[in-house]
Amino acid sequence: MRDEVRMSPEIIVSNAVSRSFGSFTAIDKVSLTVREGQFITIVGPSGCGKSTLLQILAGLVAPSDGEVQIDGERLNGPRPDKIGMVFQEPLLLPWKTAAENVEFPLLLRHVAANQRRERSLTLLDLVGLAGSVDKYPHQLSGGMKQRVAIARGLVQNPRIVLMDEPFAALDEQTRSRMWGELLRIWERTHATILFVTHGLLEAIYLADTVLVMGTNPGRIIAHIDVPLPRPRTYDMIGSVEAGQLRNHIWELVASGQ
Amino acid sequence: MRRRIPIIARISFVTVMLILWEAAPRIGLVRASDLPPPSMILPVLWGLLQQPRFLADLGYTALEVVTAFLIVAPLALAVGFFLGENHRAERIFGPGLNLMIAVPKSVFLPVFILALGIGLTQKVVFAMSLAFFVIVPSAIAAVHSIPKALVTAARSFGAGRRQLYFHIYAPAMAPVVLGGLRLGIILTVFGVLFAEMYASSVGIGRRIFAWGELGEMPQLFAAVFLIIILTVSLNEAMQACENYSRSRFALQSDR
Repeated sequence: MRDEVRMSPEIIVSNAVSRSFGSFTAIDKVSLTVREGQFITIVGPSGCGKSTLLQILAGLVAPSDGEVQIDGERLNGPRPDKIGMVFQEPLLLPWKTAAENVEFPLLLRHVAANQRRERSLTLLDLVGLAGSVDKYPHQLSGGMKQRVAIARGLVQNPRIVLMDEPFAALDEQTRSRMWGELLRIWERTHATILFVTHGLLEAIYLADTVLVMGTNPGRIIAHIDVPLPRPRTYDMIGSVEAGQLRNHIWELVASGQ
Repeated sequence: MRRRIPIIARISFVTVMLILWEAAPRIGLVRASDLPPPSMILPVLWGLLQQPRFLADLGYTALEVVTAFLIVAPLALAVGFFLGENHRAERIFGPGLNLMIAVPKSVFLPVFILALGIGLTQKVVFAMSLAFFVIVPSAIAAVHSIPKALVTAARSFGAGRRQLYFHIYAPAMAPVVLGGLRLGIILTVFGVLFAEMYASSVGIGRRIFAWGELGEMPQLFAAVFLIIILTVSLNEAMQACENYSRSRFALQSDR
């Protein structure tokens, strides 16, 4: 664990959280503690409940058992003031412009129009879309749409950002560019990020800690601290260290099935 | 410019139809007493529009159409919305609804008359029974067309139920719902006129029927001509709303 976050307060605490759908146990007694400012990635085979866990931490799905605490408070539903979400699909409203989409969470909270605009312009600038403020989603490329979605996830200045395979639908080149952007944004906002992914190298490159999940039932089988220094650079992905870590995690994922 | 083409196509179609109609009796294809040409009908229509009794019939029919539609549209939308939102309810009532869609409602008109008489209520209820079964399925389809992920995302941004309905459901459903309402209003007009022709003492449908029995073709076609103009204009207006909502709220652009 990095020294900066070793002593920072616990912002997400999950206590033996389980969730079943009928007789199917999606996740079983997942306990984890995330400290403020950490970048955590979650990997695991398909069907291990990664997305379900993220939805529970977002307050979108209630756990069948156990509880989640955000900032010491028990989570009972979505907390848009504290938690920003970015999904695998951009999920932009096609009838709203880039700026209006970014402003949407603020609109829901009845924030005044000029304040909303100010905030959306700041964030679109942060994600490198200052020139596309008034464009509609169908006028944007896949990578641009996902950046709008990231800006929207950050618009309420949340202390936690939950990301559910946000770059999975992007092409390789766009994806690696987005990694750099995300890390830059993370360093600027000091947000705590939980990032679900299928990509092991992506998980290693971005994270302080990689959580490895196993399936049947979905559970956390390993916490792996990533020893790569910060700031991360793209060439670290090709390093021997990253490669060994990747093989190690690969074996864990394979054994957890 | 692509938008202009349908407008040109429409104008050409109407012009060709009017020319054929005008020409048919003149070149002896049909007898003018069976199919009077527009040049004969328009003065008759003008005369009819000066008659208080004709205007009263027209007003009565319009009242029936408006009443029926104002009741059936929100009712059918509410039922469709409820069924679209509740899988259990849809599983229970969906099959019955499907059966009802297939049944020709016109065969029940005598039953409606027995139960409700031949006044306004009977015609309104009959027209509603036609429109109901096209609006409900369109509302169900509209609810199903909303991407679930979009709703989940909006919830994560803090949207409450009413905000979801206003910001996600309403715009996402608009194109499909407007299409259903357009068919609904066409069927409402059809239902009212049909019921009037079958049994009524007033209304434009009744007049057309009576003129037909008496062989008063110029009056009959004048009224038919007027109804065509009114319903086509109504349909075009609804279509314009539908097209606008489709261009504005189309969901496929981001999917």
